[in-house]
Amino acid sequence: MTTHSVGIANLPNQRYKIVSEKGGTFTIMVCGESGLGKTTFINTLFQTTLKHVDPLQRRHLPLKKTVDIDLTRAILEEKNFKMRVNVIDTPGFGDNVNNNKAWQTLVDFIDDQHDSFMRQEQQPYRDTKFDLRVHVVLYFIKPTGHGLKPLDIETMKKISSRANLIPVIAKSDTLTMQELQIFKSRIRQVIEAQEIHIFTPPLDFDTTKDSTTEDENAMSTQDATAAEHARQLIEAMPFAIIGSTTKYDNGQGTQVVARKYPWGLVEVENDNHCDFRKLRSMLLRTYLLDLITTTQDLHYETYRRLRLESSNGTDDETNNGNGDSSMPLKAPARKLSHNPKYKEEENALKKYFTDQVKAEEQRFRQWEQNIVNERIRLNGDLEDIQTKVKKLEEQVRSLQLKKR
Amino acid sequence: MESPVPSSLFRRKKDNRRGITYGIMMIGASGTGKTSFANNLVESNIFNHEYNQNLHDYEISSKIKILSPTKVVSFNSKNGIPSYMNEFDPNRANLESGITITSTSLEISTGNDNESNIMESPVKGHKRSNSIIEEEEDTIFLNLLNTHGITENFDDTLCFDEITSYLEQQFDVVLSEETRIRRNPRFEDTRIHIALYFIEPTGHGLKELDVEIMKRVARFTNVLPIITKADSFTKDELKQFKQNIMNDIEKYNVPVYKFEVDPDDDDIEALEENQALSALQPFSIVSSDERNSEGKYIRAYPWGTLLIDDDKISDLRVLKNVLFGSHLQEFKDTTQNLLYENYRTEKLSSVTKSSASTNPDGKSTTGGKKTIGNRDSAAPSLSNFASLINTGHFKSSQSLASNAKLSKNDLSRLPATPELNQDGNNTNAGSSDVKESPIKQMSDDIRNGNEEIIRSIKKEAQSNDAVERNMLRNISETVPYVLRHERIIARQQKLEELEAQSAKELQKRIQQLEKKAHDLKLREKLLAQQGRHGSSTSITSDNASFSTTRSISQNQMKKNDTYTDLASIVSGKE
Repeated sequence: MTTHSVGIANLPNQRYKIVSEKGGTFTIMVCGESGLGKTTFINTLFQTTLKHVDPLQRRHLPLKKTVDIDLTRAILEEKNFKMRVNVIDTPGFGDNVNNNKAWQTLVDFIDDQHDSFMRQEQQPYRDTKFDLRVHVVLYFIKPTGHGLKPLDIETMKKISSRANLIPVIAKSDTLTMQELQIFKSRIRQVIEAQEIHIFTPPLDFDTTKDSTTEDENAMSTQDATAAEHARQLIEAMPFAIIGSTTKYDNGQGTQVVARKYPWGLVEVENDNHCDFRKLRSMLLRTYLLDLITTTQDLHYETYRRLRLESSNGTDDETNNGNGDSSMPLKAPARKLSHNPKYKEEENALKKYFTDQVKAEEQRFRQWEQNIVNERIRLNGDLEDIQTKVKKLEEQVRSLQLKKR
Repeated sequence: MESPVPSSLFRRKKDNRRGITYGIMMIGASGTGKTSFANNLVESNIFNHEYNQNLHDYEISSKIKILSPTKVVSFNSKNGIPSYMNEFDPNRANLESGITITSTSLEISTGNDNESNIMESPVKGHKRSNSIIEEEEDTIFLNLLNTHGITENFDDTLCFDEITSYLEQQFDVVLSEETRIRRNPRFEDTRIHIALYFIEPTGHGLKELDVEIMKRVARFTNVLPIITKADSFTKDELKQFKQNIMNDIEKYNVPVYKFEVDPDDDDIEALEENQALSALQPFSIVSSDERNSEGKYIRAYPWGTLLIDDDKISDLRVLKNVLFGSHLQEFKDTTQNLLYENYRTEKLSSVTKSSASTNPDGKSTTGGKKTIGNRDSAAPSLSNFASLINTGHFKSSQSLASNAKLSKNDLSRLPATPELNQDGNNTNAGSSDVKESPIKQMSDDIRNGNEEIIRSIKKEAQSNDAVERNMLRNISETVPYVLRHERIIARQQKLEELEAQSAKELQKRIQQLEKKAHDLKLREKLLAQQGRHGSSTSITSDNASFSTTRSISQNQMKKNDTYTDLASIVSGKE
């Protein structure tokens, strides 16, 4: 190394300047049944009231709900750095009696964002891109103490192939330590067995770097602590969280965000009580960049590749007149044919139609039968009458003969 | 069996002698703490948690005797196995678990003496667990039902049907027993007197599922909504949540049990009690499996420990008192006098709708004896029976006689009558060669047997010189069969459905396997080819080159031909 630097090493600083001027975008999606504290969690995470809890609003909704997409946008500023935060909520997920295909709306939304970003990239002018690609999905698991439900598993599977997924155990203050341990281990087992790819902090850099650059002591220790941190995070997964926005005195004169029960104070930022700090560190402090880059490099690229490949395929197929491909070229068309719900409806309608036709046919046949029967009867009557007439004629003739 | 004797005094006496039969059903989403609550209720550790079939710390209170251990009484699932028995298996966690209803009969007593006579439990193959709770001199045979698997399916609609059909069955059993001539002295009343509905502690309000289930179940039993895991709420939140739930119950007209305050009631104490209870509703509870050194149930968190029967935290003690003390008889009375009576009227009048509407008044007014001759032709049908019940006039022979003709029309409309069933048999016979499942056959046999019985009874009635008493006897003999018959048909339908489902599943699996086999074959072929390739590449390539050269030469020949043709034509022209 030379003592007089040329200035190449300043590139990171220049980069820093640009980035801090431009600010960042972070899109987070929360997903889970209602009443698991999603809104509270978002407010706790950013320490502001991003989303309002409005109990009155819910009152007016009908009981049967569809899964909605609810977008909240905000600009947060910390130390002069501006961050555009998009929070996507999914009210109504898992709230109905029939939750089949409830995940479709979520999956469609994620795909749509990828799709729209891809289209924008293909435009001639692409300076200002509207980017709503979901960087991370937090899946809220109900603290049942049993395990994951089929709905959870199916939804997580679908999401994990499209975005960074982090499962969290909501309202973990209803589980004791022992229960929580069992619950966590069951969830981990299921996630592993069902091949759900959840987001994990990168662990591999310590193995590669430690072997190559051992001379830089300071770097390696830093890496080691980072690796240690990552390992701790992985061990704590799925994170058990508690949400609250109210501050209480913790008995030592400091105000902490907590939930106050008659039997004690649950501190949100206390590692012994819950994993909130770990989750926040994963989401914001340490691995925010990882989340964004994996979204760009992995999930978006995968989507793009699949999409372009399949659209090429349909080009060939359209010549053959075969439109069976799962992803036709046009986005709206894709969505329509893609959504299994429509298919179900279509099938139901078809079935109804054929049933109706059958019933009608049955009725017609019955009528026909009746008519035939009637005709036979009438024919019989006719014959009877004819024979009677004949008989009478006979009689007349015989009488006439007698007369003569 | 409770005889429909109106005097509650008499019943109480009888109950005390034999012990009180009491049915509690716990309904609610999975993971709301039903099992823990059940354990807390009887202060023992006898119910298994999900995925945990072997209790490590089995313990049973001295006041409790298990009459029959937990058994599955009804279930519905896609793979045909009650999920309740499943061990935790992460590989199968993505399968829908269906719904399972289990039953446990316990005998609980608070007194020291345990000499109370124990009821034999299984009646009609229903294995249930009975527990007897003895309070003062009372002995309670507690029949505790639990539901497993609600919300563990994509579509929970099948849960409703399963639960309601189970409850309905219990009513049917009682109804058929009631109409029997020789009643079974050891008959056991399996009706559910109270259903506890466990509401998830969302903090919002009722969900569609909650409303639907409670509404359906309320036809057959009292419904008491309770909030579980109340330790997830702070005081204010709990208050708000309770308010929300009461609002929702009001808004969606959910017929839950209300502690009604009757101003005419002279019992001031009861009035005040009810007032307090209705203010407290819905009860919020906390359950736990953990005990502290004093033997009290606790929940130990890192931030503090709470006693589950702390009145400031949960209403568990109040709920217990309501269930086993103050309102036990009340629950039983409403089930018997209101819900069951309504069901009975509905059931019996539904089969005779047309006849009842044609001559509703004729019965009571006429008292003639002219038509006695006709009467014996009256087949003992449900319709006759119902008309008897409706009017209460056993001697109104005219109506019976006129019914005789009508009833034949009615019969054709009844699902359980021979005429229709014969039709059914004919169609069955016609389709039998198309699809003959063992279940169908079996149920057909049962059905035919039943019809035989019903018919023979009817014939008997016709052949006998009719006396009114005789006919009544016949009626009482037929009704149980008819009811059983209906049940069997329902059962059969369900079985058929299950069969179809499993068949579909099998088909799918077969297809998958076939596909796999096909793939494997292809791969094998490929491998074999590759193997051969190694040895015979040169030959094939030679062949290929040979063939190409040949084809080329052929082409050339053809070209040559055409050239010559052209040439000849040209030359010919010239």
